[in-house]
Amino acid sequence: MFRSRSWFGGGLWKPKNPHSLEHLKYLYNVLSKNHTVSENNRGLLVETLRSIAEILIWGDQNDSSVFDFFLEKNMLSFFLRIMKQKCGSYVCVQLLQTLNILFENIRNETSLYYLLSNNHVNSIIVHKFDFSDEEVMAYYISFLKTLSLKLNVHTIHFFYNEVNEHTNDFPLYTEAIKFFNHTEGMVRIAVRTLTLNVYRVEDASMLAFIRDRTAAPYFSNLVWFIGNHIIELDTCVRNDADHQSQNRLSDLVAEHLDHLHYLNDILCLDIPDLNQVLTEHLLHKLLVPLYVYSLTRHKSQFFQTKEKKKHVSAVVSLFLLSQVFLIISHGPLVHTLAAIILKSDLDIIENGASKLLEEYTNVSAGDKIAFVQPQESLQKSLESLNETQSDEAVSEIEFTAADTIEKTTECELTDNPPSVEPSTSSNMSKTLPRPEVLNIDISNNTLNKIKNLNVTDEEKEQRLALESPLTPQQSSSDVQESLANKPFLEAILNALSSTENDYAALFSLCLLYALANNQGIKPEMLDLVLSPSQKTSTKNWYNEILVDRLIQIITLSCQTNTKVRLVTLDLSIKLLLQLVMSDGQSLLQDCHLAAIESAKEQSTSLLRNFYKSEDIFLDMFEDEYSELQKRPLNVEWLMMDSNILLPPTGTPMTGIEFSKRLPCGEVERARRAIRIFFLIRELSLTLSGQPETHLPLTNLATCVQVNNVLDLNNTDLISCTIVAKDGQKIRRFLVMDLIQIILVEPDTRKLGWGVAKLVGLLQDIEVTGDKDDSRCLHLTIHRPLSSSATNRVPLLSAKCILDDHIRCMAAKQRLTKGRIKARQKKMSQIARLLDIPTGIPHCPTPPNYTLLNVRQERTTGRGQKQKDHPRPMFTVNKVPGFAAQMRRDSSARSVAGQSAATGKRSDSSPNGKVCENGLKSREHSPKLPRPRSEEIPLEDMRSRNASLGKNVTCLPIAIQERIDVTITNTPPLSDTSPVLRKSSEETSFTSPQNQGEPKPRRKGQVETV
Amino acid sequence: MSYAYLFKYIIIGDTGVGKSCLLLQFTDKRFQPVHDLTIGVEFGARMITIDGKQIKLQIWDTAGQEAFRSITRSYYRGAAGALLVYDITRRETFNHLTTWLEDARQHSNSNMVIMLIGNKSDLDSRREVKREEGEAFAREHGLVFMETSAKTAANVEEAFINTAKEIYEKIQEGVFDINNEANGIKIGPQHSPTSPGGLAGTGGQGGAQGGGCC
Repeated sequence: MFRSRSWFGGGLWKPKNPHSLEHLKYLYNVLSKNHTVSENNRGLLVETLRSIAEILIWGDQNDSSVFDFFLEKNMLSFFLRIMKQKCGSYVCVQLLQTLNILFENIRNETSLYYLLSNNHVNSIIVHKFDFSDEEVMAYYISFLKTLSLKLNVHTIHFFYNEVNEHTNDFPLYTEAIKFFNHTEGMVRIAVRTLTLNVYRVEDASMLAFIRDRTAAPYFSNLVWFIGNHIIELDTCVRNDADHQSQNRLSDLVAEHLDHLHYLNDILCLDIPDLNQVLTEHLLHKLLVPLYVYSLTRHKSQFFQTKEKKKHVSAVVSLFLLSQVFLIISHGPLVHTLAAIILKSDLDIIENGASKLLEEYTNVSAGDKIAFVQPQESLQKSLESLNETQSDEAVSEIEFTAADTIEKTTECELTDNPPSVEPSTSSNMSKTLPRPEVLNIDISNNTLNKIKNLNVTDEEKEQRLALESPLTPQQSSSDVQESLANKPFLEAILNALSSTENDYAALFSLCLLYALANNQGIKPEMLDLVLSPSQKTSTKNWYNEILVDRLIQIITLSCQTNTKVRLVTLDLSIKLLLQLVMSDGQSLLQDCHLAAIESAKEQSTSLLRNFYKSEDIFLDMFEDEYSELQKRPLNVEWLMMDSNILLPPTGTPMTGIEFSKRLPCGEVERARRAIRIFFLIRELSLTLSGQPETHLPLTNLATCVQVNNVLDLNNTDLISCTIVAKDGQKIRRFLVMDLIQIILVEPDTRKLGWGVAKLVGLLQDIEVTGDKDDSRCLHLTIHRPLSSSATNRVPLLSAKCILDDHIRCMAAKQRLTKGRIKARQKKMSQIARLLDIPTGIPHCPTPPNYTLLNVRQERTTGRGQKQKDHPRPMFTVNKVPGFAAQMRRDSSARSVAGQSAATGKRSDSSPNGKVCENGLKSREHSPKLPRPRSEEIPLEDMRSRNASLGKNVTCLPIAIQERIDVTITNTPPLSDTSPVLRKSSEETSFTSPQNQGEPKPRRKGQVETV
Repeated sequence: MSYAYLFKYIIIGDTGVGKSCLLLQFTDKRFQPVHDLTIGVEFGARMITIDGKQIKLQIWDTAGQEAFRSITRSYYRGAAGALLVYDITRRETFNHLTTWLEDARQHSNSNMVIMLIGNKSDLDSRREVKREEGEAFAREHGLVFMETSAKTAANVEEAFINTAKEIYEKIQEGVFDINNEANGIKIGPQHSPTSPGGLAGTGGQGGAQGGGCC
């Protein structure tokens, strides 16, 4: 230490402590002795630079004199000097790392200011590193990003130099944006981060600089970059009918989303000037020419003269526009775009297009509404920006301003037809002397057009009355005409009624949904197009053309072998509700309502075909229900899925989610029928304002919960010892409810009462005997499907030891039957939901109504359950009734030696009625206490009759026969005679047809796959 | 410097859990962990060897960019591996893991390997999150778990390398589409780029040069 007392004398030898002022002095010495980078000192320099970073941060945190020395010696200038020697990536990377560490870790604000104060950092920024070196590039851009994170109103002045007019520049920003389209994704992200960090600094003069000098070149190049990306995406979709490049496509889609989110992030910073420029560029150079114009590509006469114009397919354009409206909410942008799509008519577009063509021949090509490459690359624009000083620069600004004016006038023609909303245009004209130019440029003809567009509310209403058919009386030809006049809206609506499949329809729905839900679009724009009318004169009207088409999709989806995917149906319903629900009331006209009710009827009959045809029908039914509840459709997520961009397919081998493809095989067709049933049922209930009372089949809230105290006097209790997997033994009493299995332990305070320690659903249990121990049962209780748990570890999986083998047999039987009963009960619930006739009048033994009332009370009082309140649920002596119920379904599994069952066998129906009996015993559990009228769920008999027409009478027969068949096909229930099976199978072939045709099929609908 | 593959990582987690310190600790061994020095960096690269193949790891810290949705989603998508870091001395950083994970799962490609890191294991006396809790969380969500200390460098190496191994295995299994750079994996250039003399760069081998001037 003695040798390094003074600033200058010290630092010739390396001190032992690397974290000390002495060490920095030593490093300084090394730097000053090695001005020139050579092969020999390269390693030494690198280590010196690295050590400097380390010691400076140590100093910043521990000893301020270290930093003072660094600044005093102006050590950053050494960095610059080394850098300028073209020293190769090895040294450069180290320099950049040191700088990164320096700016990342310095906590002391004053130190930071000093570091930035002498403009060395800006010199480093503008230094031309070897950017072809991946590592140099990565470190460089990270350095810039780190700096951008340090920007605030104080530090901005170190980076943006406004003092001297001639050096008016902002290298951190202008250097960074040159890499906006770098091939390396991480670099592009860093650039975007940096720009956002810059924009959010609230410094007026800096932002003015950004807007005046860099915004136009940057945004026009950005827009061109995005657009090219879109074209690539489109090519990918076109060339991939076989789902070969899902990965590539998913990247392209994600990349587009990234771009939109980036644009949205900029717009959300709410910098008026910047937003205005960005909005203009987006509308003129990308969204209108590339996205919107592509909607009508197939029939557009206005593009004939310019066939080479870039475009994407209509499907892709619908998809992309949906994304735009789902993500971006900047009012002036989305509102204008929505206006173009929803309101612009053919004349305007044609005129605009011809005007465009005129312009194309003489005026600069860069400023028309078209997707064209910017005149010069961003790099070039920015370089010229740096070169041109004072006078030149001023004239340049004027030039661009004039350009913008011309653009704006054009925009009046095609892009801003609904000048009804002043904010858009006023926003655009805020900084520009637009009006004068506007008057000079525009012909009388177009002026008239604009006048037409500036309609008053009254006029607008009149026009609306003409355009959208408000009354059912209006002929469809009018509808067609008005639509034909609005080519974009027409294209969107036409996509809804595609006959081939629902490929485009899904995107069309998404777009309409996105439009309807975008916060940036003013409600009056959507009035009567995508929302119920709010105006007094047309109150309670809705867009009938659209509703017609939506109902058409819903109807179509209920047919067998339909090509409508579940997600399309789901979205149609979502949109429909939005269109016709106003303050919780449905505005739907009778004819539309009837159509929906008939669709519901049809979906029910479709599902009847699958009722019981699968052993696991009940599980599927409940699984689908909980899936729908757990994962409601999220349109934004849907539109992130690139898979839907490829033509709809049926095979699950593509990895496409079930709801986004067509069903494959019988099981999936059943699942699909179940889901359709749920969806349309819910729609119907919502429209009629009724709550759902029948689903889910088990309302867990009304079930016994763990720690409930139960009155178990006079209840069948099975005492047993539960041996868990880890050998732990617990004494419990096993109780069964109609649907639940409950393990209780005696309540210490009340005799005869018990505390529920574990509850599960009887339907979810598995019981097996033990080969080696006749007193043992292996009991597994699975978790209910509706439980939120992601992993389906069984609730209980343990050995159950009973007192003796008789009790064990009895318990096994009761559990097995309890499971069957619980399942039958639910199956009969489903049967009622599906209007499958139940045979309660023929019930041989009267159900135990007293007992059932208990259960019913609990189910009807859903949601009002008092928790932890002792409930007298088992007060009724249920033994006789319970035994009787079990006996009736026991025919399939004869259990000998059960005294309870044998006595009443003779009660069951005569053998001659096997068919009927079989039907009864599985179609419904005996406990159906409700009057018949209540069992038919919420159904509009009128519409049902209307839709079913003549079939109404023969329907029940058909159903009965079909059910017989399904029963005979179910293994455990194979007690029906083979003869019967044969005869009923014949009828089963005809029965689906009987039900499948409630009304004549629509023309052009697809009937088979 | 040529490599067989380049893997891009991101580091995510609450602020102050020591992400950038972990990053520096791993990417540059020359920065010896010292008690009175907290030092981190937002970007780093390092070469490792797996199965006899040179693999370059590029690690990007996403700190400070949470305000912008576009940025976070882009980062997630561009990475092949993610280190999800919490601080064992601050329970709230552990509680936020679910949110981080949801975010990651939603935006990243499904093959991204996520490693859960409980950092600051040197501060055992101030521990608020038990090791078992971290293990349980990892098991539940199918992550690899490790407790590390950027201070003492304990397990830091292993955390990054194990993640790389898992990515490498996925490549061998053909799960990753390596021709698609958007996945955060890049196949190395055929020959070394311009860097002269095959120098070690700032990466791992740089440690050999530490104090070479004596």
